[in-house]
Amino acid sequence: MISLRLLLILVFVCILVAPLQTLAQPYEMQYERPVDVAPTEEDIGEGYEVPPVQRPYPRSVLLEMLDVILLLTAMGLAAWIVLARRNRRWLVALTIVCLGYFGFYREGCVCPIGAIQNVSVAFVDPKFAVSYSVIAFFIFPLVLAVLFGRVFCGGVCPLGAIQELVLLRPVEVPKPIDRALGSLKYIYLILAIMVAVRPEITRDFLICRFDPFVGFFRFEGPAHMLMIGGAFLLLAVFVGRPFCRYLCPYGVLLSLLSRLSWKGVSITPNRELDCGLCMKACPYGAIENMRAVRSSCLFCARCYNACPIHRADGVELASIQNSSSELGR
Amino acid sequence: MSEKKPRREFVGDIARGVTLVGLCGAGAFLARKTSDVYAWQLDAEKCVNSRLGATGVDVCELCSSECVVNLSAVRAVNEYSKCGRCYICPAYFDITSAVDEEGLPSQKLCPRDAIERKAIGWVDPDDPANNFYEYIIDEEKCNGCGRCVMGCKEPAGLGSIKLEVRYEFCLDCNRCSIAIACPDEAYYQETEFASAEGEKAEELPAAD
Repeated sequence: MISLRLLLILVFVCILVAPLQTLAQPYEMQYERPVDVAPTEEDIGEGYEVPPVQRPYPRSVLLEMLDVILLLTAMGLAAWIVLARRNRRWLVALTIVCLGYFGFYREGCVCPIGAIQNVSVAFVDPKFAVSYSVIAFFIFPLVLAVLFGRVFCGGVCPLGAIQELVLLRPVEVPKPIDRALGSLKYIYLILAIMVAVRPEITRDFLICRFDPFVGFFRFEGPAHMLMIGGAFLLLAVFVGRPFCRYLCPYGVLLSLLSRLSWKGVSITPNRELDCGLCMKACPYGAIENMRAVRSSCLFCARCYNACPIHRADGVELASIQNSSSELGR
Repeated sequence: MSEKKPRREFVGDIARGVTLVGLCGAGAFLARKTSDVYAWQLDAEKCVNSRLGATGVDVCELCSSECVVNLSAVRAVNEYSKCGRCYICPAYFDITSAVDEEGLPSQKLCPRDAIERKAIGWVDPDDPANNFYEYIIDEEKCNGCGRCVMGCKEPAGLGSIKLEVRYEFCLDCNRCSIAIACPDEAYYQETEFASAEGEKAEELPAAD
C-alpha cells in the first residue's frame, strides 16, 4: 500500500518537474535569412566603402620566365665550368645554389622529370595543354644534352643535387648489377607514360606521386614517401646517385640524346693525365678505358678533381708530367 | 681511312641536326596549344559547399585536409559586394547553438576563429540588430574547411562566401590532391585563365 502511494508521489513529482526541465534546456533559434539583398554603400551610410576583395593572380608570366632564364643560365654555367674550367669546386657551388632555388625555394616544381607526363598527355589529349615554362623546362635540357651531354644532371637538377651532395663514401657498384638496375628506369619511363596518357578519370602522374625527394623540399609529405626518400639519401651516401642512375625516367631521354652530343665531358691525353685516377674517382662508372662514357656521365667533374694536372692547377704541370713519365718508365 | 672519318662526323652532324629540329618541332607543337597562364582553379558552382541544394553532406572539408601545403592553398573569400552584412550571420555564428543573453547564438561556426565581425556605417547604440556588420576573413587563419561557405549558402545566407585557390600558396602540382579527392570535380586546371577572367585580370595587379 505504501509503495503504491510512493509511486504516485514519484509520478506526480515527475510531472511537475518535466516542464521545468524543458525550460532549462537551451532553445534553438528560429533562424530565417535576415536580408534578401546585399546593402549598398548608401544603405550602410557614414561614408562606408565596400572593401576590395584580395584576389591574387596566378604566378605571373614574368616570374615563370625568370625560372626559365635561371635554368638556362645554370645549365650554361655548368657546361662552362665542367667543359672549359674543369673545376669541381665551382660546380659544387652551382649545385648548392640550384638545390636552394629549384629545390627548396621553388619546392621542386616545375621539373623536367615530371614534365614528361604533362608533355605526353599534351601530345595525346587535344584538350590538355602545358604552359610555356613546362615546355621550356622539358625541351631545353634535352637540347643541351644534344650539344654538351647531361649538363642538367650535373649542377641544375635539384633531385640530382641533393644526392650529389650526400655522396661522401662512394662505393663501386659491380657492372652486372649496375647494368641490371639501370634497365629499371626504362620500365619506369614506359609505365609512367602509359599511366599518364590514360583517359582523364583514370589518369595518374606516377613520377610526381613517387618523387622521393620532393617531400624534403617542401618539408612535408606522406610519411611513407619521406621514409623512401630518406632511404634513398642514405643509400646515396655510398652508391652514387641511385635515383638518377637506376630510376630517373628523364635520365633515359638525356642519356639517349647525350650519345649524339657535339661536345661532352672528355678525358683527353693532352689536357689530362692518362693515369687512371679519374676512373677510380668516378662514382657513376662513367669512365671506361680512361675515356668518359657520355651517356652515363652526370657532369660532376670528380674526374677532373682527381686528375693530378688539374689538382695542381697547372702550376707545376711540367714537373708532374716529368715525374709521371718517369713512373711510366 | 681518310674518307671514313669525315663521313662519320657528317652522319653525327645530321643526327644532331635532325634531333634538334625534332625537339624544336615538339616544343612548337606544344606551344601552339598553350596560353599564358596555367593554374588550378576551383569552380564555386560545382563546389559541394556552395552549390545550391547540395545535400547529403554535413560539410565537405577535403579542401583543407587534402592539400599538400600545411595550411591549405584554398581559402574562403567573402565577396563583399554580395555580402548581406547580416546581424546574425549564418556563416559567422553557429545558428544551431544555444542563444546567449544578447539573443545571439553562443557559438561561432569557424573552428579557427578566422572571421572578424564588426558593426559598420551608422551604428545604432541602442539596437544592435539595426546595424550592418562587416565579416572579414583572416587569410592567415583560414584553412579552407568550407564551413562558412556552407553556412552562407542560400537559402540561409546570400552565398557571398566562396572557396578560392590562393595562387601565392598553390604549388600547381601535377596531381592536385584536392582535385583527386573532390567529390564534385569542382577543380580544374585552367589554360586560358587570362581570357576567361579577362576583366578581373585587368583590374588586378599581377601577383608577385
